[in-house]
Amino acid sequence: MPHAEPVAAVPTDAALIAAWQGGDEQAAAQLVRRHARALARFLAGAGAPDADVDDLVQETFIRAFRGVDRFRGQCRFRTWLLTIGGNVLKDAVRRARRAKVVPLADELRATDGDPHERAVAGEAEGRLREGLGRLSRMQREVFLLRAQQGLEYDEIAAALGTSPGAARVHYHHAVKRLKEHLA
Amino acid sequence: MNEPELEQLAQRLGARAAERLDVERTAQAVVTRLREAPRVSVVTRLWMQPAWLKVAATVVLLLGASAVTRGVWYRERLAPAGGEAAAAGLNELSTDQLQRLLEIVDQATDEAAPLSPADASLDDLTAPQLRELLRSLEG
Repeated sequence: MPHAEPVAAVPTDAALIAAWQGGDEQAAAQLVRRHARALARFLAGAGAPDADVDDLVQETFIRAFRGVDRFRGQCRFRTWLLTIGGNVLKDAVRRARRAKVVPLADELRATDGDPHERAVAGEAEGRLREGLGRLSRMQREVFLLRAQQGLEYDEIAAALGTSPGAARVHYHHAVKRLKEHLA
Repeated sequence: MNEPELEQLAQRLGARAAERLDVERTAQAVVTRLREAPRVSVVTRLWMQPAWLKVAATVVLLLGASAVTRGVWYRERLAPAGGEAAAAGLNELSTDQLQRLLEIVDQATDEAAPLSPADASLDDLTAPQLRELLRSLEG
């Protein structure tokens, strides 16, 4: 009778954070491996140019690890990370605007320089990106956290410093405006 | 487009960017950057912001200008205070000391020059001037 291999316990985010705080670099690397793709999707959805996603992901993790003392488990680590990503993206857009005068909405819409890839991605996806670029930052982030990342309103509210009711209202406003844009 | 379709579309958003991301390379890059760049405190980071530097420079300029203005103002205010200082010295004398002073002054030359405290020190005053001054100080 074959013996079942003992399954190594997967460390929780909290355990990895504690290990990183104790100086374990590999714990930080493991957190990056675990959350980088979700963060990349969120950033790209929020309007980050595809060419910049890698840099923005790195910058978000750097900020998160340096400020991890401020994370008190009010929401999941990934949710907290996504909100930091939103701030990193906002700063990047501001820097880009300072370097060249481009309206914010245009900046967010300029998501990919390759027309072929854009065609492949589909017209609807491109139009959704356009619509997201026209929403307020709060509406955009609530929509992405809910629709793209599948988070509950309580979790979204805790991460964005608002109430679950307000998060719900932002989501419905976002959906309404996006439907109008896509109609 | 209804809401579930919109959510489905949103879930596809950024999928290509996520697929293209080299997670292992990103993890190593993050660890390397964390190791190389020293951890900067929140206060230091705030001070590194250009806006804060501008505010700090403005505050320093304002404080410097205010210190210079106050210095000039004090000098101007203290300059004509010689006569007042002499009168203030009399205030510190006791009644007995003042009476003795009067007696001494009575023996000196009696000269009725008009009182001009602005350019007179206690030593320069004549007897009537000192008497007048004492009376005014005694009320």
